[in-house]
Amino acid sequence: MIGALRYEYLRLRTLRSTYWLIGIAMTFQLVMSIVIAAVVANSSSAIGDDTVFDVLATIGASAGFAPLFIAFIIGLLGVFSTGHEYRHGMIRATLTAIPNRTHVFVAKVLSTVVVSALAALLCILIALLCLVAFGLEMPSVKDFVDMTAGTTIFTVLFSLSGLAYGALTRNQTAAVALLLLVPTVIEAIIRAIVIAIKGFSDDPQEQGGFVQILKFLPYDAGGKLYTRASIDDLLSFLGYTPFGAVGGGIVMAVFVAALLGGAYALFLRRDA
Amino acid sequence: MALIEARALGKSYRGHRAVDDLSFTVRPGSVTGFLGPNGSGKSTTMRLMLGLDRGDGATTFDGVPFDRLDRPMRHVGALLEAKPFHPTRHARNHLRMLAAPNAIDDRRVDEVIEMVGLTQVGRGKPGKFSLGMGQRLGIAAALLGDPHTLILDEPSNGLDPQGITWLRQLLKHLAAQGRSVFVSSHLLQEMAILADELVVIGRGRMLANGPVQDFISHSGLASVVVRTPDLALLGPALEALGATASTDDDGAVVVRGATAEQVGDAAHAAGARVHQLMTRQATLEEAFLAATGLAEEFRGTQQADHQVEDRR
Repeated sequence: MIGALRYEYLRLRTLRSTYWLIGIAMTFQLVMSIVIAAVVANSSSAIGDDTVFDVLATIGASAGFAPLFIAFIIGLLGVFSTGHEYRHGMIRATLTAIPNRTHVFVAKVLSTVVVSALAALLCILIALLCLVAFGLEMPSVKDFVDMTAGTTIFTVLFSLSGLAYGALTRNQTAAVALLLLVPTVIEAIIRAIVIAIKGFSDDPQEQGGFVQILKFLPYDAGGKLYTRASIDDLLSFLGYTPFGAVGGGIVMAVFVAALLGGAYALFLRRDA
Repeated sequence: MALIEARALGKSYRGHRAVDDLSFTVRPGSVTGFLGPNGSGKSTTMRLMLGLDRGDGATTFDGVPFDRLDRPMRHVGALLEAKPFHPTRHARNHLRMLAAPNAIDDRRVDEVIEMVGLTQVGRGKPGKFSLGMGQRLGIAAALLGDPHTLILDEPSNGLDPQGITWLRQLLKHLAAQGRSVFVSSHLLQEMAILADELVVIGRGRMLANGPVQDFISHSGLASVVVRTPDLALLGPALEALGATASTDDDGAVVVRGATAEQVGDAAHAAGARVHQLMTRQATLEEAFLAATGLAEEFRGTQQADHQVEDRR
């Protein structure tokens, strides 16, 4: 297992895309954090200390109107961890160096978890530094812990889903498309259809019913890990009550675990 | 020293039997050539041997399956793909990455880079390598762990004549050190010089397995060449021997089914003058074509050439 981890460490270190993606994510995070912090510092309106930290850490995603940028960029590293193996025919070289497929798969999962978590934690650090640099108030301990854990867990789960898409499809382009489209387009379409059907039903405001399936859209549910207000709140009149951070996180974790389980089973069974 | 034992290897793709009940042994100290027409299952067999493809049967290296070998590259070096590397990862880093899980140090990485002649481009991007350079990098990866067994699929692909000569000398040298070398190739003349033993397959099935000379001599294509101005006398004498005779383009009589001694005696008894009498061994190519003639998966036709010409 240690050998497989060494392999992954060198694989990540010797690829330019690792540096490019982390560099882009951190640059964006830094620039946007500075811009937002500067605006807030010069604003006369009273904004809660926790809210400022939340907005800085997620670059506005905590408001529920934008995706978590860091997750989408770092998620590509998850796709590449398996996608490169198939795109460049590396998988056979990899498995002749490490024939134990379980070790190869687990090492990829662990390296993706570590890189994604570090990237998410760096974003938190950048947000804190910006608060200090612009003389803004620090968040409460509870909010700091919740937001740090939320963004980190979401980013890790998001990246792992990218890894699973790469292993399932054995096609890097298809995996990137799935990672970008499922959270943004597919889930939005499902939500729109469910809302339309509910809206045209006899009693649109009836509590419960099939509208509850919206709670189980995995990326949307996982978003509750870092959102403090969301568009879902506007849907409460349709009898829809989304999960909180823990429930949403569990839904996303189960979904990603199922993807990884399927990917692992196929990785063991398929020809390399 | 490693004895490779492949037993009952088999693989099907959607009902099509690509490899069927293949068993053979590769002994230490020899180069074993792996021959077969396109699509006969050579690459699939090699992948099955290393557990890369899922199928039937088992292969062991000194009694141990590949996936149970500790630090496998120190035991078995393999080249299976033409360009199995990320195009932007430096060649040296590619090798360092493969070396890491096998506890092979960077000095050995530099050694094999020098061995295959890639020192000047060791820090270059393989995406810009020619096919031959890519092949050299693949060979470097196979040699990385200084393994006692080499499994190489078409290693001479893309190599220039100097490269092919270098590779032949290298593989012969490694076999002479007592290592097991199992190598597939379409270059039959090269294989005739390189290989000690052969495994010949067609449509996934074993056609022949044994020493190269046995394969050639058992092909039944050896002939006796006779030059005589008295063919009218010699012809009936050969017929009486049960041999078949035909005349080639330059007028020599090619006799099959009799030895040079038998032909000479028959000519003498028939009073036919003989100006030349020699035995001609079949080539590996002739023996291979004879053995695989009915086992070609993909066969070109001359008709296709005519159709192309007609369209012009």
